[in-house]
Amino acid sequence: MKINLEEEVLSDNNAAAKFNRDLFEKSKTLVINLMSSPGAGKTTLLEKTVAALRNEYRIGVIEGDLATEKDADRIRKLGAKAVQINTNGGCHLDARMIAKVLPEFNLDEIDILFIENVGNLVCPSGYDLGQNHKVAILSVPEGNDKIPKYPVMFRRTELVVLNKIDLLPYLDFDVDTAVEDLKGINPDSGLIKVSSRTEEGLDEWCQWIKQAYLKCQSQ
Amino acid sequence: MMHEMALMGDILQLVERDAKARNIKQINKIELVVGELSNALPDALEMAFETFRARELAMLTRQSQLVIRKEEARAKCTVCGYEYHPEVRLSICPECGLPSGKLTAGETFKVKLYEGN
Repeated sequence: MKINLEEEVLSDNNAAAKFNRDLFEKSKTLVINLMSSPGAGKTTLLEKTVAALRNEYRIGVIEGDLATEKDADRIRKLGAKAVQINTNGGCHLDARMIAKVLPEFNLDEIDILFIENVGNLVCPSGYDLGQNHKVAILSVPEGNDKIPKYPVMFRRTELVVLNKIDLLPYLDFDVDTAVEDLKGINPDSGLIKVSSRTEEGLDEWCQWIKQAYLKCQSQ
Repeated sequence: MMHEMALMGDILQLVERDAKARNIKQINKIELVVGELSNALPDALEMAFETFRARELAMLTRQSQLVIRKEEARAKCTVCGYEYHPEVRLSICPECGLPSGKLTAGETFKVKLYEGN
């Protein structure tokens, strides 16, 4: 017997993403899915971001990691609610994993929820988690080739945070080329230059989040 | 590779669920459409399928087949209408140079059909 199934491979994930999105919309929680290579500085950027925003917003963080609770512990020290998802070697978070940990948050008391995805520029790109925004973090030491090498990721994110710009004087990274490459792949994407270490650009990133939060409230 | 194992798990789950509802007992063939820009690698999907097949999981037998139809990426310029195969800067129309190209194919990733009895 031949069955013409014609079904998206990720249809179960997409159904779970919709489930999550409905919950986020009900509680008017802004959800940002942060993706990057390992070592791009997601957790450090999040620490600085939480510290900068915690007086104005109630913040929650879901930390995706291959193993360990280290990242969640770093966020908890700042007083934010953090839940760790260990993927046990799995290379991405999917919407079902998020749905399972959401009961640990009281979403009505969370204004902004950050999801730190597993460090990887390939696998996380295809999985809708139910977020409002997908943001890629790219760091200067990774080099200019990342944007053209991973077009699927950078097509699906709407903002690139270029991190570790304090290292620009010491490395060959060319910001103009990165901007051009990004425009060529995703003309609608923004790019914000940040150094988590010196906090340069952190304010622009926080402004972007505040705008996104306002937009999320008015929907 | 882990990624394709997970994806193959999803594929087999979709097929098995549908097959059970139709009282099908074994899966003989699965046909996928995998777009060039879907971020799933056909070779790795084949390897993942072989792993499941070797253990005869998810109603597979050692004779079950996986057929992958590759979908080439295509784009069309919304300004001049030129159709092209997108290279790295895939939104840039090679004809008029504007960032006005939109993908028309290449992102598909679906189970097209399966055969069983």
